[in-house]
Amino acid sequence: MHLWQLFLTLALASSSDAFPGTEDTPAPPGGASQSLQRVHPSPETNSSGKPKFTKCRSPELETFSCHWTDGVHHDLRSPETVQMFYRKRTKLEWTEEWTECPDYVSAGENSCYFNSSYTSIWILYCVKLLNNGSTVDEKCFSVEEIVQPDPPIGLNWTLLNISLTGIHADIQVKWESPPSADVQKGWIVLEYELQYKEVNETQWKMLIIRKCGCLTNVRDPLIDLPIIWMKIESRDFHFPWLLIIIFVIFGLTVMVFVFIFSEQQRIKMLILPPVPVPKIKGIDPALLKAGKLEEVNTILAIHDSYKPEFNNDDSWVEFIELDIDDPDEKTEGSDTDRLLTIDLQKSLNLLGAKDDDSGRTSCCEPDILDTEFNASDMCDGTSEVAQTQRLKGEVDLLCLDQKNQISLLSLDTASATQQPSATLVDESKPSPLLGGSESAPQASHSQLSNLSSLANIDFYAQVSEITPAGSVVLSPGQKLKAGMSQCDMHPEVVSPGQANFIMDNAYFCEADAKKCIAMAPHVQVESHGEPSFNQEDSYITTESLTTTAVRSGPAEGAPSSEMPVPDYTSIHIVQSPQGLVLNATALPLPDKEFFTSCGYVSTDQLNKIMP
Amino acid sequence: MANKGSSPKGSLLLLLLLLSNLLLCQGVASLPICPRGAVNCQVSLRDLFDRAVILSHYIHNLSSEMFNEFDRRYAQGRGFITKAINSCHTSSLATPEDKEQAQQIHHEDLLNLVVKVLRSWNDPLYHLVSEVRGMEEAPDAILSRAIEIEEQNKRLLEGMEKIVGQVHPGVKENEVYSVWSGLPSLQMADEDSRLFAFYNLLHCLRRDSHKIDNYLKLLKCRIVYDSNC
Repeated sequence: MHLWQLFLTLALASSSDAFPGTEDTPAPPGGASQSLQRVHPSPETNSSGKPKFTKCRSPELETFSCHWTDGVHHDLRSPETVQMFYRKRTKLEWTEEWTECPDYVSAGENSCYFNSSYTSIWILYCVKLLNNGSTVDEKCFSVEEIVQPDPPIGLNWTLLNISLTGIHADIQVKWESPPSADVQKGWIVLEYELQYKEVNETQWKMLIIRKCGCLTNVRDPLIDLPIIWMKIESRDFHFPWLLIIIFVIFGLTVMVFVFIFSEQQRIKMLILPPVPVPKIKGIDPALLKAGKLEEVNTILAIHDSYKPEFNNDDSWVEFIELDIDDPDEKTEGSDTDRLLTIDLQKSLNLLGAKDDDSGRTSCCEPDILDTEFNASDMCDGTSEVAQTQRLKGEVDLLCLDQKNQISLLSLDTASATQQPSATLVDESKPSPLLGGSESAPQASHSQLSNLSSLANIDFYAQVSEITPAGSVVLSPGQKLKAGMSQCDMHPEVVSPGQANFIMDNAYFCEADAKKCIAMAPHVQVESHGEPSFNQEDSYITTESLTTTAVRSGPAEGAPSSEMPVPDYTSIHIVQSPQGLVLNATALPLPDKEFFTSCGYVSTDQLNKIMP
Repeated sequence: MANKGSSPKGSLLLLLLLLSNLLLCQGVASLPICPRGAVNCQVSLRDLFDRAVILSHYIHNLSSEMFNEFDRRYAQGRGFITKAINSCHTSSLATPEDKEQAQQIHHEDLLNLVVKVLRSWNDPLYHLVSEVRGMEEAPDAILSRAIEIEEQNKRLLEGMEKIVGQVHPGVKENEVYSVWSGLPSLQMADEDSRLFAFYNLLHCLRRDSHKIDNYLKLLKCRIVYDSNC
């Protein structure tokens, strides 16, 4: 560290200016000196070899001494004798005679020393230099004007503490007043100036001026540099730099204030530009205050960013409505088919940005979603595994169904549904007709039956009530199923059973549905499906968010006999208020592919069911 | 604001006032030590001496600057040094002239001497200000300092009277002081003579201000700090 390499050499110097700039008082007694020079303008004064006064100095305001240069000896044969005489002016008059110097020795060579007995303060002195009897130099002064104190002694420094980085340090510098100066009695008051410099520098920098004899906490980064010389000066005069600095700062501050409060708006704008107030084009704040929101809306509608909010549900409904309103398109395939179309890729693509979150995210966890995708990917290729996965209680079906539904919903054409999402329902018996959500005319049902898509999964269910636990209780669908199962056998039975069937919700297993469809789709479709279901208005499909009844026409014919089939579906996810997602429950069906109805119940439906 | 036009002027005026105070009050306390009429006001002697020393030092600095300014401006080349330097009007006062004499004199006497010298300068300073103002191209550096010295001299005199009242109470001193008779010299028609008179006066002022400053510092150490500054 630099600090440990500090070398302090005491190079003390002192200077004092009792009276600034006037070391030699130009106050000759009776105009002696100048007049003498004028009267006797000797040519010797022009030569450089003449003895001359160099300095008269008083170190402590008690004694003083005068020094002169020894002239060049022009004549070696006769050594020149230089004498110094002085005269001092007493209170009212000058002493008549010049007195010779009392002490040529004490102050050194070519000097004259006046001790305290010869020294009087505040009195004019005139001294003259004589060379071989002729005056060569003269000067007049007062002792208080030639005060130049001795340098301070005992300059030393102490390291107080070092900063953590080792760059800064606190140093205490101490010194003592010169012994000659009687500061203790207050006869002379000294000021000190501390200077410092780097080792290889030549210029001294002033640090501070102090009156006392010590200086602590010299905290200056420059001090870290190795210092060799430390100079202390004693002075008796200082210049008011601080005052000037304060003056300048004050003036600038006032000027700034004047500008700020000035009426010159231009200057004000320059210094303090106004903050722009937030503003919308065309909007009058008064308009807002008046409360005329319609007008504000119209104005705001101009801006692209402003769009009135739409209910998410409405968009969902729109999609649904489109599908329903276009029966022709739907005739191509049952809703179930469409919903369950395996062509998920296509549907998803069509989905695109539509309703990305409708349904899917409601029930799907990410892993489920992935699984769904996997399943869908495998749809084209029959994969029982995928199906079993779904059957295993995951809610994949729900998601898948929903996906299918979404895809189907978005599709106006049921072309995609032409494919019997066969892989989906390898073992399941689609009940397309059962899943038919529209009041399908016969033709539609027939078409649906043609599809006979395995994708026709049972997912229609009527929620009769919701248990406190959160599970949804569906009205018995066993009957239907039972009916369905028997529909093959007894197609005729189907008809009479329709009425019964009507009353309850239809929760059909695929197997039954398939049978029914296979058996007598036409019959089922035609006769009774429509009205009965309409009554209940209870069928809830994923697509039937509208209040239109879901007709499972073909299913109507089926339920002549009822078979006890559990029809409770617990709610998988309650995504209020959007709806409920129904869980799959294991049903003891031979055709065990029991696809739970992915019931996505909207609040409207729910409200209708359970007021 | 009702009067916007005058607000900047008012600010400038305020600034000028403040700055003038700042300039003139360099190192000088501007508040009176004790309000007039306050009987029980007792400022410590130490504070009184501190303030007095500050004032005397300030006055001496101003005097030196004023003399140097005058010397630079008017005395160069005129050969004032060739002329006889008249003694100052305060030379008649028996003031100590070296350290021994100053230490021998009693502090009360020294205090009285200081007060006398200060009183002696009231009149000359007043006339100095008025005459400098009347000078052609009145130099502001000299005039402002003269005004300030006159003001501060009065304040120092008040402070010294308080100190005397505390140090040497009960003695009512006759107001003795040296009379200054140099006014005619300052008003002489001859410019050379007039300038020389100014030069002499300023030289005497510088000398006496140093004398007073030294005496007060000596007295302060002696009285307040018991000769152990």
